[in-house]
Amino acid sequence: MTRGAGATTGGRRSAWLLAALLSLLAAVVATPAGWAATGDANRGRDLYDRRCAPCHGVKGDGNGPAAELLDPRPRDFTTGVFKIRTTSTKAPSDQDLLAVITDGMPGTYMPAWGELSETDRRNVVAYVKTFAPDRFKEAPTPQALPPTVGPSPESVKRGREMFEAIECNKCHGTEGRADGPSRPELKDDWGRPIKPANLTKRWTFRGGPTPQDIAMRLATGVNGTPMPSFIDSVEKPEDIWHLANYVASLGPASPNYATLVTAEAVRGALPGDPNADFWTTIAPENIALVGQVTVDPRNVNPAVDMVAVRAAYNDREIAFHLTWDDATQSTPDPAKHVYADAVSVQFPVTVGAGPERPYFLMGDDAEGVYLLRWENGKGATEATANGPTKITPMTASEVTGTAVFRNGQYRLVLKRARVRKDAPAFAPGVFVPIAFQAWDGGAGETGPKMSLTSWYYLRLEEPQSNRRFVVPPLVALLTVAAMALIVRTARRWTRNA
Amino acid sequence: MRKVLAVVGAVALTVAAVAFVGLPVRAGAQAGGTIEVEVRYNGSPVIEDVKVNKDVEVCGKEKKIDKIAVGPNKGLADTLVWVTDAKGPATSKPVALDQKGCEFHPRVLPMPPGEIDILNSDGVLHNIHTFSSLNPTINKAQPKFKKVMKERLEKPEVVRVQCDVHSWMQGWIVVVPNPFFGVTDGRGVTKIENVPPGKHPIEVWHPLLAKQAKEVEVKAGQTVKVAVELKK
Repeated sequence: MTRGAGATTGGRRSAWLLAALLSLLAAVVATPAGWAATGDANRGRDLYDRRCAPCHGVKGDGNGPAAELLDPRPRDFTTGVFKIRTTSTKAPSDQDLLAVITDGMPGTYMPAWGELSETDRRNVVAYVKTFAPDRFKEAPTPQALPPTVGPSPESVKRGREMFEAIECNKCHGTEGRADGPSRPELKDDWGRPIKPANLTKRWTFRGGPTPQDIAMRLATGVNGTPMPSFIDSVEKPEDIWHLANYVASLGPASPNYATLVTAEAVRGALPGDPNADFWTTIAPENIALVGQVTVDPRNVNPAVDMVAVRAAYNDREIAFHLTWDDATQSTPDPAKHVYADAVSVQFPVTVGAGPERPYFLMGDDAEGVYLLRWENGKGATEATANGPTKITPMTASEVTGTAVFRNGQYRLVLKRARVRKDAPAFAPGVFVPIAFQAWDGGAGETGPKMSLTSWYYLRLEEPQSNRRFVVPPLVALLTVAAMALIVRTARRWTRNA
Repeated sequence: MRKVLAVVGAVALTVAAVAFVGLPVRAGAQAGGTIEVEVRYNGSPVIEDVKVNKDVEVCGKEKKIDKIAVGPNKGLADTLVWVTDAKGPATSKPVALDQKGCEFHPRVLPMPPGEIDILNSDGVLHNIHTFSSLNPTINKAQPKFKKVMKERLEKPEVVRVQCDVHSWMQGWIVVVPNPFFGVTDGRGVTKIENVPPGKHPIEVWHPLLAKQAKEVEVKAGQTVKVAVELKK
């Protein structure tokens, strides 16, 4: 009952609180831009030194102890150059800085600090500004955008025309997968190599995934990077919105990462061609990959961050269709640290009944793993492994693999017999541990320098029998018959009565 | 009221006419001298070979970028010479930086503070990305249909220009506060005319070499020749 009593007094209190909030909101709305400039830099300093300095450095120069490992590098605040802004002036507004601190920067190591109180975050904003006071002398002016044009097939079509006319593909690639011809040349303002955004992965956009965010980036450009402003460089002002709508149409706002891989039961043949229509009928399960940082050489900035998996089986075979982005189909040249692009799918050597699984990083001496591997130039092979450097190719490899590479994307089908004696067998209804590894040879990845997943589960969907077409209609028929019988009996009774 | 307007108009017109005709006359009346500077470089030319992987129809398949262009008699091209102390009216000649054949023309462009036209003669996407400390930096896309962009550079300084799409494209705009400047030609020679008589410090600057300062005595109606050698 204490809760009830609390609710009464709490109700009055919350009414007061609401009133206070409303008046605060009114004050905020009434105050012109710059209302956010209320942080206390001195208070922000303490928090900065504890939370921000490990990457951004005590001096704000982006040279904290962790900076060396990070790509993109932490921001150097002393230059006052910031990527994300909604201003037409060079410096971001306090609100822009606050938003980055609050929401983090997707696709980078900058985490979201929403757990800190707003006062704390505003204090950090104020402190960050003190590293480049000259840049913030000028009051920020909001970047004006033409009136919003919502997404529609026409807008997306016009956006695509503009995308081609203004040659976004030069950096972002024909289909937006960050594989444009200028990609290898791009450098940031500090002379460090920088990658263009993969437009099909909106969830990695530093300033947010919505068409509004995209339109703003197109208008302001991204300071400190090669991304220029396009506000005066489109045919008509509203083209900014058409472009934003087109970019937003290139991929989902969120990857909706899968937790389970389901293999679909199929009656007919499993097409070996990765571009076969068959594969488009299966929804992909997006699996997130991370850098291998357990053994040397570590891969803190992995190139492949996701593999989209489709799996299917029939009475004889099982097939895995893998799709992943890679900017270049690399020709191995070890002298230039260029290796073959590769991918592998990992299973335990024996699928046991218990929860025990081999060590996720390609097994260990105690328990090995079984790998379905594919390497550009070499094709598909089978192997067992007892660790990332102890891989033993299987002599009687039966797996087949066909890959295609187009516009910064690999599509691969790996196929083998479903039931085998010398390798794991895949039976319907059984949860089989599965893991993935990928190497972008063009980014210098080879051996332990890879991106990978820990264990997931693969489940072969149980084949559906024809009974579903027979049993429900039969039940319906019997029900109707029973009802008719009851009605008839009831009528007879009434008549007799 | 109309009369007053007419009188004001007439006065304004006369002032304008005098200003228009009179100013060049006065400049001529100053009877300045000419500084002819010959810049030499004893090292070997630096040429960067670039294999082009895009827009080959306008950029060509291979580019030779003259980072340090040395002509006959060791003459050093693309070198800016300017009289640092002389004061004079800024020339109102329109200044243009062209992007042609995926190169900046000219590579070194001096300009008075004010407006500059940025041209895209190539018909492919370029982006004008400037690196400066006093002037606001610019990073604007210039797609094929955007033939001219007008920008302003108000503060005297060296502004590096880069196209990120074609990263070999590097240029330098130098905002000079007076009209007494010149850029050396393929022989390493430039002439600065109408310099007020007297002793003047001059500065010789190449984007990739150490700059040099010198003092020159200018005599009215005469040409004073100066030889300078730049080093790394």
